[in-house]
Amino acid sequence: MIDWLTANAGVTGLMFFFTVFIFIAVWAFRPSVKEQIEDYKNIPLTGDEK
Amino acid sequence: MTNTLDKPIYNDDIVKLFTLATVFWGVVGFAAGVFIALQMAFPALNIGEYLTFGRLRPLHTSAVIFAFGGNALFATSYYSVQRTCRTRLWSDGLSKFTFWGYQFFIVIAAIGYVTGVTQAKEYAEPEWYADLWLTIVWVAYLIIFLMTLKNRREPHIYVGNWFFLAFIVTVAVLHLANNVSIPVSLTDTKSYPLWGGVQSALIQWWYGHNAVGFFLTAGFLGIMYYFVPKRAERPVYSYRLSILHFWSLIFIYIWAGPHHLHYTALPDWAQTLGATFSIMLWMPSWGGMINGMMTLSGAWHKLREDPVLRFMIISLAFYGMSTFEGPLMSIKTVNALSHYTDWTIGHVHSGALGWVAFITFGAVYHLVPALWKRNELYSMRLVNMHLWIATTGIVLYIAAMWVSGILQGLMWRKYDSMGFLEHSFVETVMAMHPFYLIRVGGGLLFLIGALIMVYNIYRTIKGDYEHAEIKTADKKSDATNTQEVAHA
Repeated sequence: MIDWLTANAGVTGLMFFFTVFIFIAVWAFRPSVKEQIEDYKNIPLTGDEK
Repeated sequence: MTNTLDKPIYNDDIVKLFTLATVFWGVVGFAAGVFIALQMAFPALNIGEYLTFGRLRPLHTSAVIFAFGGNALFATSYYSVQRTCRTRLWSDGLSKFTFWGYQFFIVIAAIGYVTGVTQAKEYAEPEWYADLWLTIVWVAYLIIFLMTLKNRREPHIYVGNWFFLAFIVTVAVLHLANNVSIPVSLTDTKSYPLWGGVQSALIQWWYGHNAVGFFLTAGFLGIMYYFVPKRAERPVYSYRLSILHFWSLIFIYIWAGPHHLHYTALPDWAQTLGATFSIMLWMPSWGGMINGMMTLSGAWHKLREDPVLRFMIISLAFYGMSTFEGPLMSIKTVNALSHYTDWTIGHVHSGALGWVAFITFGAVYHLVPALWKRNELYSMRLVNMHLWIATTGIVLYIAAMWVSGILQGLMWRKYDSMGFLEHSFVETVMAMHPFYLIRVGGGLLFLIGALIMVYNIYRTIKGDYEHAEIKTADKKSDATNTQEVAHA
């Protein structure tokens, strides 16, 4: 297993990072959490000073 | 037991110190830039041993990137992390140590440059002793930032803090990997790097380009994500886009470094890899720029009313422009013309002056009245004057370098019918002269703008308001007029 991974480090690395990125993108853009995630953008505005 | 609604007492003293240091080092760095630009136009200005271009150039780059930019990042990250986490910055003592420790690093690095102590690695010139000291300061910075995040009373970590954290962590990794060297002895300033040959070059440009990507981009995007919404009094355009912006930028930037080594001994596949990832960077860069600019969607009139916001939005325009130009220059055929020419210098300055410095000026103008508890800045008129003088300066600078760089590249590659080079090197240098003069003019305007900012900030801290002075003057002249009328 480890031999195969080292021999194909480029492709496995690419696939790993690409999969993680796609997962993050899909996770962030799930329609069901749109409101919850978009609500976080108000954090800087609800402070107590100018 | 603290109630989550309690207002935390923020540590603003440390932010004040870093803000003042930002302004101070900014002026020093810009002035050094103008002087070395003059040296390029008039070589006779290379006076003595200590003030030669070769020694002052790293002084300029370090002063603007690490001293001006670095202090700005400390100030803005310490300010915004407290407010977005609704908690006080962790450890007053350690944060004060980061301030004095960082200034000490700047000073010992600068003394090294003028006395000829250098590793001769671009943006990583300081020798081993300064590198070790910076590592200690930087780890303290990381601990403070992480502990503040840990103590947060806001459940979610705001995206601006992701950018700041990515900047702190990545810069630590880059700094450590690129500065692995063995000193000649513990009492000697000289050291030798562990890496050699093309491996050393690759690590240097992995470091160098990510100094741009993580120090000058990710960190300053942290500023953008806090200060643009704050100034516009509107939330960022899309939070989900900011998540995508963050991860795509982080994943892609780290691979772009090899484009600095096109047509060198670096394996061809690595050069192509660097170029490919640079082109892919178009997407996150423009995604981020659009996200920042569209924050004003539906409230564009604010641009007309607030010159501070104008600074921020113009900075995003320059960010978009320079992140378009960068990938273009990484394409190998374009790079064959642009590399080693002034085009690169122009590109760097459209990013550094237009993006980094302008977003910093915007943040500083927002910070000073907030930190010193003033209702507003001394003079918005002066902010506007600074904005237009500096913008004119940047345009002169980059336009001159575009023309100069392309001319230079074309002259270098021109052959005659016999296959000999058409131009000697000194001919190309002479052809650059008018553009070097224009650059001096551009840099001078940028410096004048910064001095106007210094005056405005000084008066703001003093507690003066220009419109109050105008009103008083009006009242006085009204009173005089009335007296004159009465006498008549």
